[in-house]
Amino acid sequence: MLAAQRGDRDAFKTLFERYHRRAYALAFGVLRNPDDALDVVQDAFIKAHKYLDRFEGNSSFYTWLYRIVMNLAIDHLRKHRRVKPVELDETRIDNDGDDPLLPRILGGNPGRALLDKQIRARIDQALDQLSENHRAVLVMRELEGLSYEDMAQAMSCSKGTIMSRLFHARRNMQKRLLDLIDNPSAELVEDLLGKRAEPEADEADVSANDEAPKRLPARGRS
Amino acid sequence: MSEKRKTAPLPTGGKAQADLELMEHADGEHDDAELTARLERDPDARAKVAAVRQLGELVRGHLELSADAVHDAKFAAMWRRIDDQIVAPTGLWGRVTAWLERHRGHVVTGTVSAGVVAALALVLRPGAPDGGTRGIGYGAVDVRPVAMRAAPEIDSLDTPGGSSTVINFDDEDGHTTVIWVTPADTVEGI
Repeated sequence: MLAAQRGDRDAFKTLFERYHRRAYALAFGVLRNPDDALDVVQDAFIKAHKYLDRFEGNSSFYTWLYRIVMNLAIDHLRKHRRVKPVELDETRIDNDGDDPLLPRILGGNPGRALLDKQIRARIDQALDQLSENHRAVLVMRELEGLSYEDMAQAMSCSKGTIMSRLFHARRNMQKRLLDLIDNPSAELVEDLLGKRAEPEADEADVSANDEAPKRLPARGRS
Repeated sequence: MSEKRKTAPLPTGGKAQADLELMEHADGEHDDAELTARLERDPDARAKVAAVRQLGELVRGHLELSADAVHDAKFAAMWRRIDDQIVAPTGLWGRVTAWLERHRGHVVTGTVSAGVVAALALVLRPGAPDGGTRGIGYGAVDVRPVAMRAAPEIDSLDTPGGSSTVINFDDEDGHTTVIWVTPADTVEGI
């Protein structure tokens, strides 16, 4: 980091190589469009480089970078918003009706569930259907593990608003995935129970398929 | 993102409040003896906490797999664009040098497009309207777009101590020649 601040291009390239996919995951989670996410990540690294001298080292480079990515992603959403989003009153959480949070989980290994195209397509769809604010909070929390306080700072709103957005986002995601949980396909059950053979490496890396997963996710990637 | 409206307090009772506490617990934001006791006696509450965490795993895993599925070539191209911007040289000669460094292979093989050379002409147009050939690096420059009358002629030329690439092109203001000299001791890629 210090070398990059001194103008060492290779050191900055190392930072790029370390964090570009993580930054992309964040931007893609918020924007839901691969090309827009690539643009935002590129702009974020250029901006990070431009202001490297202002980075004081109180947090990690990535913490600083993700704030830039988030700000650019939110700006992008504002500039390119085509439809005015209809949002629930973010300050209210209804007390009536069904349980707000659903006590339902996919059995077996959720990591294996991500090998199932049906599940991933449904997660995509459910994320698409969230409002931008709800999605941004959910992605920040689940991908980066940010505290409510940090998210409130990042989005310039109160902690209560963050909690409310997160709560609604999760409830909506759960509802949209409910039928998969209650009525899983035979293939999904096999995936969850680990009975279906994992694809060979060659099959998983079919280069023409952008969606081919290369590995199962692991917590705490650096 | 600015907060435009005044936030009302979150509810303080009922299922929603109870579930909100479970969510806070799942996120590591809230923990007390009362909640611990509730979780011990209430399997439904435990299942809700597990469901919140599992949803998080699914969302995180899905986004990370989506990022992993982007081809390396896209990020390599991204780095090249970033690199172009962050090492942008200052001054006319610096910009020309950087451009030619990036496109040297194409220039030498004569495959550079007329459009790209037109962009070069944007930088190089001599300021004096004498229409003659002028070496770059001295004199004021008038930066403006040019319309090429024909595709540029690109030749290679042996010069003492190295080799050169000569680019000739005509536009509405006359003829311009750029000579790019590569010293013999230049090692490609360094």
